[in-house]
Amino acid sequence: MDLGLIAQYLANGIMLGTMYALVAVGFTLFFGVLDVIKFSHGDVLMLGTFAGFTVWLGLQAAGIVNPWLQLVIILIASMAFTAAIGAMIAKWLVLPLKKAPPLNTLLLTLMLGTAIREAVRLFYPNGSNPKAFPALLPSASIDLGGFLLRADSVILVAAGLSLIAGLNLVLNRTRLGLAIRAVAQDEETARTMGINYMLVVLATFAIGSGVAAFAGIMNGLYYSEINFGMGLLLGLIGFSAAIVGGLGNLYGAILGGFIFAGLQVVGAALLPFASAYKDVFAFAVVIAIMAWKPTGLIPERTSDRV
Amino acid sequence: MAQIEVRGLFAAYDKADVLHDISLDVKPGKITCLLGSNGAGKSTLIRAILGLTPPHTGKILLDGHDITGLPTHKIVSRGIAAIPEGRKMFPKLTVTENLRLGAFQVADNKVIRERMDTVFEAFPRLAERRDQLAGTMSGGEQAMVSIGRGLMGAPKILLIDEPSLGLSPLYVKENFRIIEGIREQGITVFLVEQNVRQTLAIADYGYVLSGGKLVGEGTAAALSSDSAVHAAYFG
Repeated sequence: MDLGLIAQYLANGIMLGTMYALVAVGFTLFFGVLDVIKFSHGDVLMLGTFAGFTVWLGLQAAGIVNPWLQLVIILIASMAFTAAIGAMIAKWLVLPLKKAPPLNTLLLTLMLGTAIREAVRLFYPNGSNPKAFPALLPSASIDLGGFLLRADSVILVAAGLSLIAGLNLVLNRTRLGLAIRAVAQDEETARTMGINYMLVVLATFAIGSGVAAFAGIMNGLYYSEINFGMGLLLGLIGFSAAIVGGLGNLYGAILGGFIFAGLQVVGAALLPFASAYKDVFAFAVVIAIMAWKPTGLIPERTSDRV
Repeated sequence: MAQIEVRGLFAAYDKADVLHDISLDVKPGKITCLLGSNGAGKSTLIRAILGLTPPHTGKILLDGHDITGLPTHKIVSRGIAAIPEGRKMFPKLTVTENLRLGAFQVADNKVIRERMDTVFEAFPRLAERRDQLAGTMSGGEQAMVSIGRGLMGAPKILLIDEPSLGLSPLYVKENFRIIEGIREQGITVFLVEQNVRQTLAIADYGYVLSGGKLVGEGTAAALSSDSAVHAAYFG
């Protein structure tokens, strides 16, 4: 295999890994503060991406056509919208079920995800068909000896990695981050310290959901299209990545995201006759990893959260 | 006037720890203790005052204001801090982060730094280990972190739940000496303990809890010779 092709696979893997990590950190944050699996995460991501797309349509209609300006506006709009949705789901659906078995929360959010997905399919104009997502990033590329390094890919990966680094900074260097980590380790003692528990939970769900919306826009820019079902696979991949890395651990989620992307890329490279089965390959390996390390690669030790 | 007034309180935490018609006063600047054996309901009372287990009926007043049913962070903001039973470190946070959380509602970094220096002065061992994860420390050191954390909020009232539980006799003695020192700073102390003799040696006033009901009260000196105290433990 020539070097150019390997570089191409590597670039793809880094791009997808960043995207998956951004989805996986949400699962890990939600599990950290509330011990719940929020299965609607992927569909909330899709909803946020459609919100961003709708804002883009509005900007086009309003004659604001500078692609950079458009990109910044739709990113802010989509992340803010999704953050609000995430906080509302936490307040009205997840927190009220706090005393119920975790399975109930899982089922409820699973149904919510389906409802969101079907609502977009039915009520968004022509929602059952894929939408062409605009190419808002420069299409320039540099030829590195058989490998085309695309500017849009570089920008997407850099932005995604910065977001992950920023999230890490918020968790480890700010008062809010300290509160989130305290709640994740011991909710009652955190409250005894004077932490507003409800506010921390809502903030965590808002952050996790907003970050997922970024991944959704990234997904749209990368594949140049979005559809109502995009959250299903992305959510499942993000969940698997969080589990493989060790649920409740931020670094585990990032690691898991890159592992899953790596598996997909390896699957596509090794099975060129059947690259459509790359997901099957990746999930099969994930199942094997889970059988080998049932609590994830970076396991959660006693009270080790976020 | 008492600083904390509990009136006609009924509360339940788990099924075993039930409080039945509790009324008591915690006087400012004094050490008031609550004695009782395991399962008597001592921790339930602490949880009720902190708003972690809201009572079924009854009232809890702080400086004359009703705080019953307020969320915990609002009760804390009125000047109550706690050193919880079992110390309750955040094991994966450093000593510094644990202490910082004790003053969570304070935003001024200068104030926080000053208070932390005071804690480090009182417990030089913590200063040496400020970047160590609290979960990796010995029981005695964790007790220091827990006490330091309770003081970081500069509370008016400190609720202390079974500080001597699981500590070696040397640390237990040290702990009681520290609690006396806290009173010297003018902080009101509500001390929940099983250790009758050492508690009454430093307390000003005490209540005896048995099976969720108050069975005795009096000055520390009076309680030391009271048969109700002995009955609560041995009878």
